[in-house]
Amino acid sequence: MAQIEQADKGGKKKKGAQKKMSIHVDFTPMVDMNMLLITFFMLCTTMIKSQTLNISLPSNEKVEQDQQNKAKESQAVTLILDTERDAEGNVKTDPETGKPAHIIYYYFGKPEVADENKDGLIDNSNLKVEKFIGNTNGEEMGIRKILHDKNKTVLEKIAVLKQDWKDKKISDEEYQNRAKDIRNDSLIQDRPVVIIKAGPKASWESLIGALDEMQINQISRYQIDNINGVDSALIFDYIAKHPKK
Amino acid sequence: MGKVKIKRKSTLIDMTAMSDVTVLLLTFFMLTSTFLQKEPVTVITPASVSELKVPVTNLTTVLVSPKGEIFLGISGDSDSTFSSEKVRAEVLQSAVSEYNKTHGKKIQLTQEQVSKFAKMNMFGMPIAQIPAFLDESQLHQDEIMMGKRPEWKLGIPVDDNKDLANPNEFQIWMRAIYNSSNPKMEETIKSGEGIAVKADAATPYDVVHSVLDNLQTLKMNKFSLLTALKTEND
Repeated sequence: MAQIEQADKGGKKKKGAQKKMSIHVDFTPMVDMNMLLITFFMLCTTMIKSQTLNISLPSNEKVEQDQQNKAKESQAVTLILDTERDAEGNVKTDPETGKPAHIIYYYFGKPEVADENKDGLIDNSNLKVEKFIGNTNGEEMGIRKILHDKNKTVLEKIAVLKQDWKDKKISDEEYQNRAKDIRNDSLIQDRPVVIIKAGPKASWESLIGALDEMQINQISRYQIDNINGVDSALIFDYIAKHPKK
Repeated sequence: MGKVKIKRKSTLIDMTAMSDVTVLLLTFFMLTSTFLQKEPVTVITPASVSELKVPVTNLTTVLVSPKGEIFLGISGDSDSTFSSEKVRAEVLQSAVSEYNKTHGKKIQLTQEQVSKFAKMNMFGMPIAQIPAFLDESQLHQDEIMMGKRPEWKLGIPVDDNKDLANPNEFQIWMRAIYNSSNPKMEETIKSGEGIAVKADAATPYDVVHSVLDNLQTLKMNKFSLLTALKTEND
């Protein structure tokens, strides 16, 4: 462990010269112990601090639901989430992006379900399909682009504000407050109302992803709703028209 | 020719520097990490851009396993008046008395069972099973919670009951938490910070939906969803 070594230099020594002593303390066991402790901490602890996403759902009372459904139809965007799963229920991976295969069906305004030529297919279905792609080279892609374009006025105003905030012209708090005011500004006519519906097989991740897009695109009016007959009819119709290769 | 003298060198390596590094690392780990909570199922939460932190106190975590089993974790206040253990004990007693009002088979708990329950970080089983579960040894309890004993039912029973005069067990628990004598519990639930729903990224929506729906029925329609962090570009 700890040795006291004499410096042995062979040759003659002067008489009366003090012997040089060097003290070695062996730290190996100390290092061993530390390593064990580090291993313990690494295995038993977590570094990931969970974040939270706050949501508020409408209450279950019928009256309120009716009122909420009267959202302005011209600005309504309905997202219907679904996730591709294999026979065992595991989420498939999208071959193009390598991410979980979430599908977002969406339509603007009212759903079109008229079938006048009676061929069992909806004539002018306005249902379209997108994916969660996020940004590619700083450009919004996928569903984000759709929502971004829908909420352009708000986002442009917030971008100006953000520049001021980056240039340190306004404080953090002021930026947050003013961004909130812009998001909720009822004078901006083209603010979208997003209705998020999730199919039974849609994964939890896709719902969080959709709520995330609301935050990213500064959309203040959105709600989570239950899927209904019209929506499933639209999806079945879409699948019938676009069979998988 | 003279012999080549091989100098004998000591093989000791100075470990002081190494020890310094390891101590630094150790300090880093000790300061930054939080201990893993024992949870019956491991879930990987989906990522979001939201940067709100999870509150540590006065929080009810609703853990939804991929199979749809529901577990509850209750944490109380940081001071001792309403510590986690006291809140849990109180919640258990009021939930059981509420359960006894609507069910024929009455449940009685001993003081020892209550204090055992108070130490549990997460629980999730039909109320009828709780006394027998608390009598099991720690090892058996862990096995049951991991789902290794098929004769024990896991998860708090939940259905789409809308009639609060005749609540299901999940509703009993949530109301017991809401009505606990700790006023902050009610406060945080009202402000939306008191309930955190935690589910795996791959869990189908219909499984989580029953929890969301029940919370809506209970008029606890503000709550938070636990997520991990990601950047806007993903």
